[in-house]
Amino acid sequence: MSHDSPAPTRRPSTGLWALIIVILLPAVVLPLWVPLYDKTDPTLFGFPFFFWFQFALILVSAALTATAYGLSQLGGRRGEGSVR
Amino acid sequence: MSAVAVSVFVFLFLIVTVLGFAAARWRKADLNSLDEWGLGGRGFGTFIAWFLIGGDLYTAYTFIAVPATLYAGSSVGFFAVPYTIVVYPLIFLFLPRLWSVSHRHGYVTPADFVQGRYGSKTLALAVALTGILATAPYIALQLVGIQSVLEVAGFGGSGGWFVKDLPLFIAFAVLAAYTYSSGLRAPALIAFVKDVLIYVVIIVAVIYLPSQLGGWGHIFSATNDSFTQFNSDNADAIAAGQASPKGMIPPPTLHWAYASLALGSALALFMYPHSVTGVLSTRNRGVIRRNAALLPAYSFLLGLLALLGFVAVAAGVKVAGNPPNPQLAVPQLFENEFPPWFAGVGYAAIAIGALVPAAIMSIAAANLFTRNIYRAYFRPDATPSEEAQVSKIASLLVKVGALVFVLALSRSFAINLQLLGGVWILQTFPAIVVGLYTRWFHRWAVLAGWAAGMLYGTWTAYGVASPTQAHFGGPLASFPGTDTKVYIAAVAFGINVLVTIVLTLVLRAMKVDPGEDQTHWDDYSADVDDENVAAEIDPRARVHA
Repeated sequence: MSHDSPAPTRRPSTGLWALIIVILLPAVVLPLWVPLYDKTDPTLFGFPFFFWFQFALILVSAALTATAYGLSQLGGRRGEGSVR
Repeated sequence: MSAVAVSVFVFLFLIVTVLGFAAARWRKADLNSLDEWGLGGRGFGTFIAWFLIGGDLYTAYTFIAVPATLYAGSSVGFFAVPYTIVVYPLIFLFLPRLWSVSHRHGYVTPADFVQGRYGSKTLALAVALTGILATAPYIALQLVGIQSVLEVAGFGGSGGWFVKDLPLFIAFAVLAAYTYSSGLRAPALIAFVKDVLIYVVIIVAVIYLPSQLGGWGHIFSATNDSFTQFNSDNADAIAAGQASPKGMIPPPTLHWAYASLALGSALALFMYPHSVTGVLSTRNRGVIRRNAALLPAYSFLLGLLALLGFVAVAAGVKVAGNPPNPQLAVPQLFENEFPPWFAGVGYAAIAIGALVPAAIMSIAAANLFTRNIYRAYFRPDATPSEEAQVSKIASLLVKVGALVFVLALSRSFAINLQLLGGVWILQTFPAIVVGLYTRWFHRWAVLAGWAAGMLYGTWTAYGVASPTQAHFGGPLASFPGTDTKVYIAAVAFGINVLVTIVLTLVLRAMKVDPGEDQTHWDDYSADVDDENVAAEIDPRARVHA
């Protein structure tokens, strides 16, 4: 990283971003782990497991991304994710 | 199609046309600069961006093609859902950095960023050409989507080609005219109507249709029976490779195919110029991150819509064409099962759904041409209003090209090229996304990696045969040295990265000039309110200052 950083408040808070990445990881890994959900049973409302599990994953990953957004806001102006 | 359905369709289309032209007055500004015409003033908030980016990424073609693959019995067709799950965490992490650096330096296109980061007009040109090449067939497919609806709806009599395609010409002319006059504001405003229509149609379809057909449980079992029947009837042809077996869930041999299609498409999606255009039009970094959490609502919709392919199988929908064209499955399902007035709403939803992405894509391709070809190579001193004018004309030419494509060449050619487009666009990932984090890659290594990925991907895709096509038979090929089928783009991407890393080591050891980097590490986390970052950038400021 450069030495002439204008203000110390700009330095990314590494711990927070590591946490955010850990939170986002399941949203990337689970959908790609096909053997995990490659089955018909148990069914839900007539949907084979393969289909309803992926619908459930959409909700889970949206929740994870929302959490990550909240955390990036916590970091406020100090972090990489300074959002204002 | 009944008079009622036609009236509903035409009425909704007229509303959208009025909106498209009225958009020029919305958030009124001087449209004679690319920031205003091509990026909507870089001022869209969470709400508008949600509709715009959603309308941009989930295109009419997606709405036609995804259920079509399930209808046709492709067991990997549902990959569209994991693909759109995986993409949002990636958008959350990567795109705010691109937004920041683009905002601080006034970049309009991804190739602008590459030029600034690597100091290479050639590399920027490669990225720009890849973007244009990948986008053009995508626009053509939006017109194919409209065509499918018109065909089922029985529009445009049986006369000569001109009469037959007259409705498409009209839709196209209207689209071209308001994109020209209103720029990105037009699709942003129309996206509201489009998405409301799509949501209503899909929600009604997934509740009403199963109730008519004995519930979801019955739909899945009927589909399963139909596919099993097909496989046993055609056992000999399947064994001889003249037909593909049908299935609902990917068998273990296709696990890698399913996962690599999802990941490769997700990585490619936000390399497309039109996604970048949508993202750069937002007001600040928070808008992008908030949308990464809100946009999965569209993924849910897409998943439900994909299942309409099975609904069509269970409802016994027969499609026209020889060989039968599965892309007609969803419009035909609407025609068979809905009352006429609601079928009209459904057709309008798909046709209007094609106009939004077609407009954004043509704007994105036009911006690439203007900034990274016209200005970079012919008119370095082009004024902002000249840039806007060139982009407007280029957006017209891109659309005319797409129309000619659809009418003069075969529909399958457009689909082949769109398949290749996904392979191609992913090859710009190292230049753009890796470039957002590090300048370690050498510019000539990135260029060589890009060329290697493009060549491998194109050559491999050309060699894929299917029961109906000798070349470009599908997105999957065997991973080199194995029998495991994977997405071609993913392998090409691996080769690209490998070549880039090896050549970077070599070029750095040889101390070849790495080029000037005009960005600063601090640029990648800049936000509005920060120093040097205006809420709306002054388009008259010198860009590469």
